[in-house]
Amino acid sequence: MKNNKSNLSRRDFFKNGAIIVGGIAVASAITTFDSVLFALEPPKGKGKWYGIGIDINKCIGCGKCANACKLENNVPKEPFYFRSWVEQYTIKNDGTIKVESPNGGIDGFQQSIPDEEIFKSFFVPKMCNHCAKSPCTQVCPVGATFETPEGIVLVDPNYCIGCRYCVQACPYGCRYVHPDTGTVDKCTLCIHRLKKGLQPACFEICPTEARIFGDLNDLESKINYFLKNHTCMVIKPHLNTGSKLFYNALSSEVR
Amino acid sequence: MPQHLKRLISFFAILLILFLIMRQVLIPKSFGQLGHYRADAISENQVRELHYAGSENCTKCHDSIHIEKDEGYHKQLKCEVCHGPGLKHTQYADKFKDGHLPDSLLLHKPIERKECALCHQKNAARTKILFDTIDNTMIVQIDAMKHKLLNKKTKEEQKCIKCHNPHQP
Repeated sequence: MKNNKSNLSRRDFFKNGAIIVGGIAVASAITTFDSVLFALEPPKGKGKWYGIGIDINKCIGCGKCANACKLENNVPKEPFYFRSWVEQYTIKNDGTIKVESPNGGIDGFQQSIPDEEIFKSFFVPKMCNHCAKSPCTQVCPVGATFETPEGIVLVDPNYCIGCRYCVQACPYGCRYVHPDTGTVDKCTLCIHRLKKGLQPACFEICPTEARIFGDLNDLESKINYFLKNHTCMVIKPHLNTGSKLFYNALSSEVR
Repeated sequence: MPQHLKRLISFFAILLILFLIMRQVLIPKSFGQLGHYRADAISENQVRELHYAGSENCTKCHDSIHIEKDEGYHKQLKCEVCHGPGLKHTQYADKFKDGHLPDSLLLHKPIERKECALCHQKNAARTKILFDTIDNTMIVQIDAMKHKLLNKKTKEEQKCIKCHNPHQP
């Protein structure tokens, strides 16, 4: 009767089972530990390594970049969700600083301080700095945000658990929680446009060409020309975030 | 080896094997290929709808406006700066040969005073701006409260385009 049920002996059953289980265990041990970690320095390959330049002297504060970003990326219209926005810094004669950004600059700026009191005033367009040592990717507990080999900081919405650690970690305030999905959203440098060979929307739309974008590894690129010809600075250099958003004529007041 | 140690070792060995199997099943395949993340997420981020077409696509049909604009101070402005995203407009333009696109595909015409004022409203932060491209001229700034023309009958503010051609200001 026993033999009719199965020809397998108990010993064979355990033997085959052990082979299958052990095979999977060995396979998993081989495949999952081959991670490449390059978070601390840029890859030394020949691939693209994107950088951004913004010329504060040229920015006229029209807010078209902030508007274009919202339209291209379906960012909620409410005035507190931005991937890209513009701030107006006004330094008064008495040394106090006023920073304004009504609706991120989309509806334009109204001068709120009379001319006599102003020492200087300028616009600062802001967006994700796409840092090479980004604090936001380092705090993610589930590996849902990361730097691509091309130097773009992205969020994996399928993996994000919406814990908001990265929102707090970003020293530039460039992340927000999308109200519809509950996951973190941020500038992707319009990676869907880059793939098609187009410029990101805010660079495409800037009327004064104050925004420059290109491959830092390519010595002939527009961004390298911009960096060579201007005295450029990043925001909060003391944090050593490896920011790749370079501003020309950046005042030390900008935070 | 004592019996209880053997049991303990085999127990931990089973736990380790179970852990490795769970790992294999639960962690996505592309996780760890490029770093501590799902490599597939890059291509998933790349799949999104585009909205801006680029001004080269505009000039295919509207070349006369392009030539007109190229002679004026607005020559470095791309069409979509004022008219808004136009990829759908350019994609479906061929299907309506008679030139009558449905309203949903028509682009925005910025004729209101506040839309010109976005760039040209007087502001202290705009005064020192010099352009490399247009013989170092300053951006024209107006005080929208003072620089205006009233309709003689209704006393309403006239639109900027009453006097200024936006394609050749």
